[in-house]
Amino acid sequence: MGGLGAALVVLLAAGLAALVARWLSSVLEPTTLTVPERVPFTGGMPPQVHAWNRFHIRYYVMALLFLAFDMEMVFMYPWAVVFVEEGIVALVEMLMFILILVVGMVYTWRERGFQWA
Amino acid sequence: MNPVVSVLFVGGVLGIGAYVVAVLDRAFGPVSRGPRDWFVWPIRRAAFLAVQRRTETERPDAEAWILAPALLAALAAAGLTAVPVTPSLAVADVSAGVVLFGAAMIIVMVAVFLQGWSPNSLFPLIGAYRFAAMALSFGIPFSLVVLTTAIPAESLSVGAIVASQEGLWNVVRQPLGLPVYLVTGAAVAFWGPFRIPEGTDLAGGAVLEASGSARAVWRIARAGVLVTLSVMGAAIFLGGHLGPVLPGWAWTALKTLVLLAVFVWSGHAFARMRVERFVWFGWVVLLPVALVDVFASGILAL
Amino acid sequence: MGLRGWLGRLAVGVEVPVFPVVGGGAREAIQDLRLRPELELVDSPRHAAVMLVVGAFPPGDVDGLAQVHDQLAPPRRTVRWGGEPVASLPDAVVVDGGEDAVVAAITETFAELMSDPDRGEPPILPDVDPVEWRGVGPYGQGGMGMTGGTPYGRPMAERGPARDGLELDRVPITIGPWLPTLPPGLRLDVVFQGDVLQEVEVGPAPIVPGEGSDLFVRALTEPVPIAEMELARARHHLRLLAEILRVEDLAVASRRALRLVHGIRPGATGEVERLAAALVRAGLYALALRGVGRLDRPPPGPAARATGVAVDARSDDPEYRKLGFEPVTVEGGDAAARVRLLLAETVQALELAAKAGPARAGGRGVVEAPRGRLEVGEPPPERTLLDLAPEVLVGQEWGDAVTIIHTLDLDVEAAGREIPV
Repeated sequence: MGGLGAALVVLLAAGLAALVARWLSSVLEPTTLTVPERVPFTGGMPPQVHAWNRFHIRYYVMALLFLAFDMEMVFMYPWAVVFVEEGIVALVEMLMFILILVVGMVYTWRERGFQWA
Repeated sequence: MNPVVSVLFVGGVLGIGAYVVAVLDRAFGPVSRGPRDWFVWPIRRAAFLAVQRRTETERPDAEAWILAPALLAALAAAGLTAVPVTPSLAVADVSAGVVLFGAAMIIVMVAVFLQGWSPNSLFPLIGAYRFAAMALSFGIPFSLVVLTTAIPAESLSVGAIVASQEGLWNVVRQPLGLPVYLVTGAAVAFWGPFRIPEGTDLAGGAVLEASGSARAVWRIARAGVLVTLSVMGAAIFLGGHLGPVLPGWAWTALKTLVLLAVFVWSGHAFARMRVERFVWFGWVVLLPVALVDVFASGILAL
Repeated sequence: MGLRGWLGRLAVGVEVPVFPVVGGGAREAIQDLRLRPELELVDSPRHAAVMLVVGAFPPGDVDGLAQVHDQLAPPRRTVRWGGEPVASLPDAVVVDGGEDAVVAAITETFAELMSDPDRGEPPILPDVDPVEWRGVGPYGQGGMGMTGGTPYGRPMAERGPARDGLELDRVPITIGPWLPTLPPGLRLDVVFQGDVLQEVEVGPAPIVPGEGSDLFVRALTEPVPIAEMELARARHHLRLLAEILRVEDLAVASRRALRLVHGIRPGATGEVERLAAALVRAGLYALALRGVGRLDRPPPGPAARATGVAVDARSDDPEYRKLGFEPVTVEGGDAAARVRLLLAETVQALELAAKAGPARAGGRGVVEAPRGRLEVGEPPPERTLLDLAPEVLVGQEWGDAVTIIHTLDLDVEAAGREIPV
């Protein structure tokens, strides 16, 4: 079994253990809840509408910026491994790439993309 | 390693670690009833949550409501497998161990989002979207400082990163790394000042509607995430199992304990950050510092 | 039952998770309970085993009380502390007497509950779905809304314009009156778009205002000792500070402030100054308060002095002038400035109390109460502040709104009182 296989087994086993632990208390004593017991809590008064909604994510500009940086992370993993081997060339190349992204970050900051209320 | 042994080993580390987190949390926390209480309290608390019934809300996203705590626990465990506890003892010291760990920690965002989304209740929902904003802000600096430790090792395997610190630990070689790691790590575990999705202003936020065993599992899983972060932090910044006299596992345990204590202490030492402030902090402070860390460490490694 | 009985016995030693429901005249009593090591006052009924009902409520059924009771995770019990039994909660354990009596009653009730969970209270409200859920087809399939029909009689949110020109859902919701995060009795009828408040209205408070401290009201008509007034001000400020620290998740510092309420003496400012320094180190201003809820023209009182305006009824008082009184001001006008002012005024009040000796002030028809200018024939400062709330809270992210509510020191109960003439 390879390393990743072992990691997968552990992942599944831990998830399963959590599910069993969660389920055990209903074995101790099964409960059925009435309608008023299931009302979501907002301070006592029942909600007028369901909570799920087309939520206004006001940080969407920041989320787009994240996508740009996340793509850069994909390149950085192999880059880090070969960095010492490639030397100064790798450093300059990545620096140029990052600087372009940082300009985007500074622009977003200036345009108040990091605040919404 | 044999799969059964692997599972028992990771389970044991996370179980003991979660208990240590609870003990430390009590010791640093606002209530002081003496050292004996530190050790007994986690057990009593768990017993209460076992007796308390589990509630659910009307029209929940039932599958997500059940799976969210399990996913959090699974991610903590998966992240832990990449770390070698002694030179020879690692569940999965794969060639891309750093990637495995980073992926597990970033997917914590999904677990917290589901926990907040699934009960169909307003405050948990707001908590969920808050954590999404946080995760997008700490994700890049967190990954960057972890990745930087791979540069001198010329490998993404955690075993190789530990071995590369034989002469000098990364905490000295990359002085910006550990502070950024601790801050973003606490944010991954929505701990202390980063309790933003579970703040008092949201009356518990993502965990508001959870009671009984569901809440207990969620809390234990979160402590597990902290443990995984500490074990990894010890390995990539503090030289993991390297050290004189004591055996390797003892060094790992000792260094993990130090990082855990820092994490838990910070949980009671700082006010909860505003979510907007955190987004600003992540991009304008943490990200540039992490980038400086990458390039400065790169130049030093040449 | 073996395992369950054993777990129950183990659980008895834990702090009892109590969900507080605070009526009129009980704000301070419930705050003092937070210092008791036997109890843990929780924010969500799902985390509690005991519901503690304190203070005065209107007769008959009280809005939302039965609902909160049913939201406590079973096994649950209710304890009514002082006052009349509440009609909405028929099975409550009734306790009279002081803090020790109620703590004893709660721990005993909890121990019973843990040893025999069957003794928990059943839900009060009837188990009826407000709207039978079915779709339009003959087998209940199809229809509009959430996979057909409107489950539990609740529709989905409707879209409406947001201030940035987008059309997204508006969620109308009532927050409170029993949310421990908010001041007791505060009920907000709001509309959320995302995590931002679009509309805010203060709803009716289902509590009966308690007596309140009459020291400052008395000072309107007759001279009272300055030392007494200033100590009362210091206590009030420290209690408010403890509440602000609690909602900003600084539990350790919150308890410290609360302990100070009971330990203050005239002139003993060292401990307050040390607390103020500790709050800076804890990042209270940098992480949580700076820039939140900036006010342009607040009503006279602490909120105005936190914008740098030296309005204080004490400035015109000859007795205070004899003590060399100068109003404290802080620049900024945001939540951070208000908390800084709170601490500075606490220190000043303790110094004044020490300097004043037996001196008395008052009887001028106007007095500087802890929350602002109290004047015969005018509404109390609390009402002015509460009327300000909707305007200030609109457009705020919810967490910031909570910070503003507490730093403005909103008090529904005191806003409902009349100044006796």
